[in-house]
Amino acid sequence: MSMHPLKTSFAVTAIVCAFGVQAADRTVIQNKGSDTLVNVAQAWAEEYQNVDSNVAIAVSGGGSGTGIAAMINGTVDIANASRSMKEKEVKTAKSMGQNPIEHVVGYDALAVFVHGDNPNGTLSIEQMAQIFGRGGKSTAWSDVGAKVPGCGSDEIVVVSRQNNSGTYAYFRKAVLGAAAKKGVISKGSFRMGTLDMHGSKDVVDLVEKTPCAIGYSGLAYATDHVKMACISQETGGSCVSPSVKTASDRSYPIARPLFMYTNGEPQGEIKKYMDWILSDVGQCILVKKGYAPARDVSCG
Amino acid sequence: MEMFSESLLNKKNKRIQSLYRSLFMMMTLLLILPVLVILSTLIYKGGSIISVDFLLTDPINGMTAGGIFPALFGTVWIVTVALIASVPLGVAAAIYLSEYAGDNWFTRAINLAIINLAGVPSIVHALFGVGAFVIFFGFGTSILSASLTLAIMTLPVVIVATKESLEAVPIAFREACWNMGATRWQTIRRVVLPNAVSGILTGVILEVSRTTGETAPIMFTGAAFFLPFLPQSVFDQTMAMSLHLFVVSTQVPNVPDALPYGVALVLIAMVLIMNSISIAFRMHLRGKKKW
Repeated sequence: MSMHPLKTSFAVTAIVCAFGVQAADRTVIQNKGSDTLVNVAQAWAEEYQNVDSNVAIAVSGGGSGTGIAAMINGTVDIANASRSMKEKEVKTAKSMGQNPIEHVVGYDALAVFVHGDNPNGTLSIEQMAQIFGRGGKSTAWSDVGAKVPGCGSDEIVVVSRQNNSGTYAYFRKAVLGAAAKKGVISKGSFRMGTLDMHGSKDVVDLVEKTPCAIGYSGLAYATDHVKMACISQETGGSCVSPSVKTASDRSYPIARPLFMYTNGEPQGEIKKYMDWILSDVGQCILVKKGYAPARDVSCG
Repeated sequence: MEMFSESLLNKKNKRIQSLYRSLFMMMTLLLILPVLVILSTLIYKGGSIISVDFLLTDPINGMTAGGIFPALFGTVWIVTVALIASVPLGVAAAIYLSEYAGDNWFTRAINLAIINLAGVPSIVHALFGVGAFVIFFGFGTSILSASLTLAIMTLPVVIVATKESLEAVPIAFREACWNMGATRWQTIRRVVLPNAVSGILTGVILEVSRTTGETAPIMFTGAAFFLPFLPQSVFDQTMAMSLHLFVVSTQVPNVPDALPYGVALVLIAMVLIMNSISIAFRMHLRGKKKW
């Protein structure tokens, strides 16, 4: 038998090109970034097909840092981020010819998760800093006055996120940074030896299975099998539980804005999509996913 | 008669012989064990979700329900384009190295480079793909970028397998041809290649399996978390099975347990089916071998 590898590959290439030529006049919007936002971005993209079938939204995750880097490189139309772009990042983007414009698309309550059997239901910013912060004094559950069933070692397993995560950056600033300013811990950084997970869901999954664990993640990732701590500013003060409502009215102490960045003021299809996201329909999808809306909306 | 009966030493040697035999057999069985455990777990936990609908519909409800068609379709695209790019290139390089190149420092350097290329971690290939194809060549995050990245990653597999199968064709075949007045190229085309096809296919099989399963190289170059349409050209992004498995098992909350197992099962089945087809084809060709 004689083989003609070249002929075969030319034939297949021709087929592929034929496919290529008939590509429809469809607009593709590239949307990439924050793992906190990725599921709501996916829900928006899924629903937007029914709004305008000629526009397709390609959604990718990877973390806020990934989205912002892609915005700087000019490889996305909309970057998702659960933190603001740093001044340095904006400067780099401008030097690369991009002009990132920030849009607040919602708010996220950062929930602190413990195992379902953990009796400790309230935590103050100071207590969390002692647990998560470098130089913090709480390394055992008994240090915060709790006895956790199933956690024989009493040692707290501290679950955190990888350092290009916007959730990581926000927790460090809002909890550890705030506590460091008050002098509770010496530095506003995480302690050594935390378990750094690569996704919001991973944190919840791990805490769910580990009685000794404590971790933080977006409220939207909560499941019925973990417990969310009620958070107070001062130890012994009144505490607020994370919910869409307490994030919306800003009474929950650790809620943060969620951003989408566009290159310049949005135009054409991108503008239509951004407007739809901020419309009642778009915002209600966000609420349904467990986030707080960017403005007041009433969803059925 | 006495001299032919078993001595104590014979008995001892026999015992040792059967001991080693069963030891090695147990090692072999131990190797198969993980495969069996993986397959049976996947079938047990994910088998219930597999249906024609699962294979042929889009994911819905935030990817917690519905099917996996866009990912399945995307993987076929990525693998096909990667094969188109790497097989001709790899086979051509192998023909040069085995049939034309002399044994000198230059050839040895190329061979060394190929072996080293095979050892580069996939995440490094991924980042190279982002720099080269996505940004420098301006292909964007697309099937083309993802497939070219995979093609470069799997090129050594194709080259090494092809080279070995070409070298396995007896030198006497070539000499006979040359003596008849055939040129090198005529010899390669009419005699060497047809006799080496089965070995080349082995390389292609290995490449297909590896390309189907890789996640890192496509994550940054062409595969999307979610895409509400099927790719229509190589410049489109796509969903892919391997990334979809990663996404539904680590990124999306409230996914039913069976879903990630089902996706994994389909992914493995794809590789197994493609492998079986190629193996059958290869055996058919091998039957025609002339030596």
